[in-house]
Amino acid sequence: MITIPYLTAVSTYFSYGLLFAFGQLRDYSRLIFDWWSTNNLQGYAPICLAHEDFYIRRLYHRIQDCFGRPIASAPDAWVDVVERYSNDNNKTLKRTTKSKRCLNLGSYNYLGFGSFDEYCTPRVIESLKKFSASTCSSRVDAGTTSVHAELEECVANYVGKPAAIVTGMGFATNSAIIPVLIGKGGLIISDSLNHTSIVNGARGSGATIRVFQHNTPAHLERVLKEQIAEGQPRTHRPWKKIIVVVEGIYSMEGEICQLPEIVSICKKYKAYVYLDEAHSIGAIGKTGRGVCELLGVDPADVDIMMGTFTKSFGSCGGYIAGSKDLIQYLKYHCPAHLYATSISTPSAQQIISAIKVILGEDGSNRGAQKLARIRENSNFFRAELTKMGFEVLGDNDSPVMPIMLYNPAKIPAFSRECLRENVAVVVVGFPATPLLLARARICISASHSREDLIKALQVISKAGDITGIKYFPAAPKKQEENKDSIKLD
Amino acid sequence: MMYVRALPTTDVNRNTEWFTYPGVWTTYILILFFGWLLVLSIFNCSPGMAWTIVHLAHFSVTYHFFHWKKGTPFGDDQGIYNRLTWWEQIDNGKQLTRNRKFLTLVPVVLYLIASHTTDYQHPMLLFNTLAVFIMVVAKFPHMHKVRIFGINAGQ
Repeated sequence: MITIPYLTAVSTYFSYGLLFAFGQLRDYSRLIFDWWSTNNLQGYAPICLAHEDFYIRRLYHRIQDCFGRPIASAPDAWVDVVERYSNDNNKTLKRTTKSKRCLNLGSYNYLGFGSFDEYCTPRVIESLKKFSASTCSSRVDAGTTSVHAELEECVANYVGKPAAIVTGMGFATNSAIIPVLIGKGGLIISDSLNHTSIVNGARGSGATIRVFQHNTPAHLERVLKEQIAEGQPRTHRPWKKIIVVVEGIYSMEGEICQLPEIVSICKKYKAYVYLDEAHSIGAIGKTGRGVCELLGVDPADVDIMMGTFTKSFGSCGGYIAGSKDLIQYLKYHCPAHLYATSISTPSAQQIISAIKVILGEDGSNRGAQKLARIRENSNFFRAELTKMGFEVLGDNDSPVMPIMLYNPAKIPAFSRECLRENVAVVVVGFPATPLLLARARICISASHSREDLIKALQVISKAGDITGIKYFPAAPKKQEENKDSIKLD
Repeated sequence: MMYVRALPTTDVNRNTEWFTYPGVWTTYILILFFGWLLVLSIFNCSPGMAWTIVHLAHFSVTYHFFHWKKGTPFGDDQGIYNRLTWWEQIDNGKQLTRNRKFLTLVPVVLYLIASHTTDYQHPMLLFNTLAVFIMVVAKFPHMHKVRIFGINAGQ
C-alpha cells in the first residue's frame, strides 16, 4: 500500500503539467520552424505519428542519461559503468572510453551467478568448446542436444512438476505460449500490474481480457463471478476456458503474490492458474524453489508455472512447467519451440550447473549459503532504509525494493547523485509505473557483502537528503550500541 | 503532514489512469486559481475580465486536449486508443462516473464566476456562454464517440 504525502501528490501533478506544457510549446514552435525550412523527404510517410512520440521526445530524452547506461564488465556486485557525454542537451549521447567502477544495485543478479563462478563457468566453457555458441537451428530440426534434454528434466524436477519446455528468450516465452494455450472464446484474467510480455501474449491470443485489482483476491473473486455469470461478450455462451495470470514477485513493487488465496478461489470457480515466476524462482523459498515453496502452495495446484533464467541463474531463456500432456501439446504447437532457435547450449549448461549449485549437488553448501545470504541482505537493507525514513515497497524476504521518488525532477537527480558517488541504481518513471509513482528500484544480490550494503546505504541516505525523498519520519536511534549497529548520517 | 493512500486501479490505459489517484482535483482547481492571479498581475485588468480570460483559456486548452487530440502520447499500447479522445478514454469509457461529473462541473462553475464578476455584460457574456455550451455538450454521454459532420474522424 503506497502512502503519499498530499503535498507531494499535488506538486507532482503540477510538475508533470509544467513539463507537458513546455513540451507542447516546443512542439508548436518546432511545427512553425519546420514549416519555414524545406526538407528533402517529400512523399515519405512519417515513421511514427507525431503524438505517439511525444512522451519520448519531450520527457524521456531530457533525462536520457539516466537510462540505458552501457556497462563494460560482468554484472557482478561491482560493475564498470561507461561514462557518456552529450553536446545537444541529452538528445544524443556519445560514449567515452573511460568507465567508472560502481556498486551494482540494478542487476537482477539475485544469487550472484552473474559473473565468474567456480563450478559453473568451467563447465560452460567446456560446453562452449564441445557444442559451440549457437545450435543454429530450431528445436525440432537439429537444435536439441543432450544438454537441452537434461535441462528440461532438471528444471521440471527443480520446480516440482512432471515436465518442462525451455525456450531461448524469457519475454518470448510468455508472448508465444499464451496464444497457444487460449484463443477466441476464452477469458484471461490478469493482475493489473502484470508484465508487458503477459499483456502482449494476452492481446495476441484473441481471448477476452479482464483485469483485477493488484494482488486483491477479493476483487478477483468478484470479477470471476461476474464474468462467469455474463459469459462471452455478445453471445453470452459459457467461456471455453478461463486462465488467471499472476506473477510470483512483481518487479516494480517487490510484492509477493497472495498465491494460496488465489489458488483456492480459482479451484472454487474452476479456472486455470498461470504463475509467472520470473523474479521469484531461485530467489525466495528455503531451497530457492520460488513462491510456491515460500507460501506453502502445492505445485500440483498451479496449472502452468512459467519462469525465466535471466534473474537468479545468470543465463538467458525461459521455461514452462506443467503436466506431461500440457508440455507435449506445447511442443507440437508453440511457435517458440517449432520455429525459434533453441537456447544456446552453453547457456543451458549454465542453468544446469546453477541449479546443481543451488541444490547442493555439486558437493558444497554454496547454494544454501547464497540463499541465506540473499535473504539476510534483503531484510537488512529494507529495514535500514525504512529506519532512515524512505518509503520502501515490497514484502519481507523479497530482494526487489523500490524506493518511492514521486516527483519527476527527483528521478534524474537521485540517479545522477548516486552515480557521482559510484553507486549505480535503476530509476523508473512513467509509463512503466503510474504517473504519480516514480521510483528507484534496488535489486539486492547474494554477492553483495555487508560493507557494500553499508556503503550503499550511506550514499543513498546522502542522495535522499539532497533530493528530499525521506517522506516518513526517521526512526529514533537506539541508545545502546551492540556490535552489529553502524552509525549512519 | 497529511498522507493519502494510493490504491492501485484496474485501468490499464496509462494515459488516463493518473486521473484516478488522489490529489488531481485539488491540483486542477489550484492551477485555475493561480492562473487567475497570474492573469490579474500581468494584464492589470478587473477581476471579472481576468475570470473571463481564465474561462476562455481553460475552454481552449481543455477542448483541445480532452476532445480534439486522439490517442496516447506514447507508443507502448500499440495504438488501440488511436481513435478515441482523452474524454472517451477515461474510466474505460464508462459514463457518468465521479471524475466525469467533476470535469463537467468545473467549466460550469467557472462560467458562473466569470459572468457574475463581469455583471453579465456584453460581449463577455456571449463568449462565455458559447464556450460553456460547447464544453458541456461535448461531455454529454450521448456524445460518446460521436463525430459531428465527420469533423476529427480522420485516422
